[in-house]
Amino acid sequence: MVGLSAGEKNFIRGGIEQDLRADGRQRQDFRPILIETGVIPQANGSARVRFGATDVIASVKAELGKPNPLQPGRGKVAIYVDCSPTAAPAFERGGGEELSTELSAALQKCLLGGKSGAGAGIDLSSLMVLEGKVCWDLYIDGLVVSSDGNLLDALAAAIKAALTNTGIPKVDVGVGASPDEQPEVNISDEEFLQFDTSAVPVIITLTKVGREYIVDATSDEESQMSSAVSVSVNSHGKVCGLIKRGGAGLDASVILDMVSAARHVSQKLIPLLDSEIDAAEAASLAGQGSDVDP
Amino acid sequence: MRDLHLQQLRLNQTQRVRLQTALQKLQDVSPSSAAATVAVADNIPVNHEDGVLKGHGTSELDGQVVATLCGVVERVNKLVYVRTLRARYKPEIGDIIVGRVIEVATKHWRLEINFSQDAVLMLSSMNLPDGIQRRRTATDELNMRSIFEENDVICAEVRGFQHDGSLHLQARSLKYGKLKSGQLLTVPPYLIKRRKQHFHHLENYGVDLILGCNGFIWIGEHVETSNGVMEGDGGNKVEESNESSSHSVPLGEKGQRLMSLETRQHICQIANAVRVLSTLGFSLTTEGILEAAKASISLGINTKDMLGAEFHVQTAEREVGRRMSLLRKKG
Amino acid sequence: MEYVKLSGFRLDGRRPTEMRHIHAEVGAVANADGSASFEMGNTKVIAAVYGPKEVENKGQQIGNKALVRCEYSMANFSTGDRARRPKGDRRSTELSLVIRQTMEACILTHLMPRSQIDIYVQVLQADGGTRSACINAATLALADAGIPMCDLVTSCAAGYLNSTPLLDLNYLEDSAGGPDVTVGLLSKLDKVTLLQMDAKLPLDIFENVMQLAIEGCKAIANLIRQVLLENTKKLEYLRGT
Repeated sequence: MVGLSAGEKNFIRGGIEQDLRADGRQRQDFRPILIETGVIPQANGSARVRFGATDVIASVKAELGKPNPLQPGRGKVAIYVDCSPTAAPAFERGGGEELSTELSAALQKCLLGGKSGAGAGIDLSSLMVLEGKVCWDLYIDGLVVSSDGNLLDALAAAIKAALTNTGIPKVDVGVGASPDEQPEVNISDEEFLQFDTSAVPVIITLTKVGREYIVDATSDEESQMSSAVSVSVNSHGKVCGLIKRGGAGLDASVILDMVSAARHVSQKLIPLLDSEIDAAEAASLAGQGSDVDP
Repeated sequence: MRDLHLQQLRLNQTQRVRLQTALQKLQDVSPSSAAATVAVADNIPVNHEDGVLKGHGTSELDGQVVATLCGVVERVNKLVYVRTLRARYKPEIGDIIVGRVIEVATKHWRLEINFSQDAVLMLSSMNLPDGIQRRRTATDELNMRSIFEENDVICAEVRGFQHDGSLHLQARSLKYGKLKSGQLLTVPPYLIKRRKQHFHHLENYGVDLILGCNGFIWIGEHVETSNGVMEGDGGNKVEESNESSSHSVPLGEKGQRLMSLETRQHICQIANAVRVLSTLGFSLTTEGILEAAKASISLGINTKDMLGAEFHVQTAEREVGRRMSLLRKKG
Repeated sequence: MEYVKLSGFRLDGRRPTEMRHIHAEVGAVANADGSASFEMGNTKVIAAVYGPKEVENKGQQIGNKALVRCEYSMANFSTGDRARRPKGDRRSTELSLVIRQTMEACILTHLMPRSQIDIYVQVLQADGGTRSACINAATLALADAGIPMCDLVTSCAAGYLNSTPLLDLNYLEDSAGGPDVTVGLLSKLDKVTLLQMDAKLPLDIFENVMQLAIEGCKAIANLIRQVLLENTKKLEYLRGT
């Protein structure tokens, strides 16, 4: 990435200090958010989310699998993120691997609620088909198509939208199978179950530049960060996960401040995302209708 | 909407219709160059009897002139060439450009200017900070970083190609040099027309606007260049850069000068005007940029909301009006 | 299995010589010098071009022409059954090479000495014919980046199943084990620049199948030319005078 000159750095830092960023936003403003759903028809659910020039795709694929013997009542969810070289030449030949891993890990922490899955945004027990025998495995894949900062928040929003877009086929389990055998399953191609995604948290990353912190930082702004705290918050205002990145140390009180700021921002962001996702779903349904009619 | 940039707008139904109508009108009022538009591998009709000079973007195949680029065919006497739209910068001697220093090398700087190679600015093609024309000494070479260092944004003029094919720049006037306190935007170079004037001091705004021919646009706080202010400024540059590095962490905590909020507001307004025009694909002129900025003020639109759908639609509609009235004046 | 029904239609309802629905668009990635998306039925590909720019690794610089590089990647979610494949597996390496060689053949590299052009192709959804879709997307992206080319290279595949030559195989037909002939064509010069086949075929049938693929390439070239012309006209009238 190209570096910035001292003058540009000062301009960015000064703007954050004076609460007027380079594109006219205040510290707690997001860029215009754009959501499309159903962009990958072969997946069970998918969405493309743009925050300004940041552009990501999330897809959900469901496959039948066997539950973990230690947690027989739950399905499994895995999240992977890839950074496409189309986003930046620096991502070629595995150059985006480190960032991809960091983003994947952060999303797993924020959305899956750790090993126990207790705080998971997705109700894992709803993925259960037959206890101890059959469950759905959800593979959530993110792809960064174009990158201009705040990838984590965009990916989390895309995952939320993709999950809303997801239909899981209804499964009938063959009755009368003996307890030791793997039961027969019958996957319906007509009936689909929708997810309740109201509990899926959003991620809000607060990027600390100088003494202040901002939301939805661009790449240029991120280059000036001393540290960043990503907080995942659900619609009840509960904090579901938290990650601090960046080298500089933070006072504990500052972190608490940032968490409460994130909760405050989430109260605006969640309804906004929800209505955008609903609009996208309506448009995607309408789009399917118009496809038939050439 | 097929366009990538317009896809980034969240238009509601009425806005979509309004924008489409406006764009359609723009198409209707534009002089028909449809016949002259070519895609790669299209034949360009020429009259061979008059003799033809094949220029940029053309090649010959079986006696036919064929386009190698997408663009508009232009003819000047016997010369036939394809004027491209989207492409990297194609330098011409005398162009004023804005670039970023990539490397400080022996006796020269290398700059990224959106060209197919880095451009070269020789220490000898540069007015020294003291403003005196003299031979460059070894001390000057050692002090090159005090003039420009890596990542600095500077403004210069295209001097020409050297025998080895490298592109050289020069900065032999006080108006050229390092740009401080502001932001750099990049737009496709075809949106910027070559004009006499590329430096603009927007007096009502206290803002300097430099429209580099290479598509790099600088919008920054106004700096006085006359009366040797620049020279004095350059004289203590070493000191200053030390100072700024030691102050870089505690921003504004003490002493570090912040620009006035008003100036900052103006810079953001102008920058967003540039962003809107470039998203819409309208050519970038000072008048157009100022008009967009003024419209945002008179409509009472927040600077950040200039990037929203409504202001884009309004700007497109205003452009229709402007071009129609231009036509009326001509006709 | 019956890939061509008695009625003469294929499993997805197409006639043997019918292509899938194509959607091509210029502009898909905000920060690239040129970009495009290309869809053939369910196969969906985006391409981004960066350059011509200064060569990053000075050792690779070529004195009299541009260095062309290409990387092909597949999204994890692009295939029917989700498989996590490591980056840079052999298939990707081979495809990167094929795309690079095909594109290099039509770029006028001698006009941009000592520079570098990066082509990145990203498969979003794979349903047969990804190779062709990648080449078509790359062609559009290169033209969008204003990189001079001697011709538009387009690509299309054809196969042979149930004794019928079939144009533009989808994944199901592709995995039937029959031959799959991928052709890359310089349509103006009428020259084949890429030809690959992965099974045996009698020579006279091969000729038919290849001819069918060539016809496909020509149809795609027409479509791509239209897309580019429309785009150029639009840029021109929007810009104004």
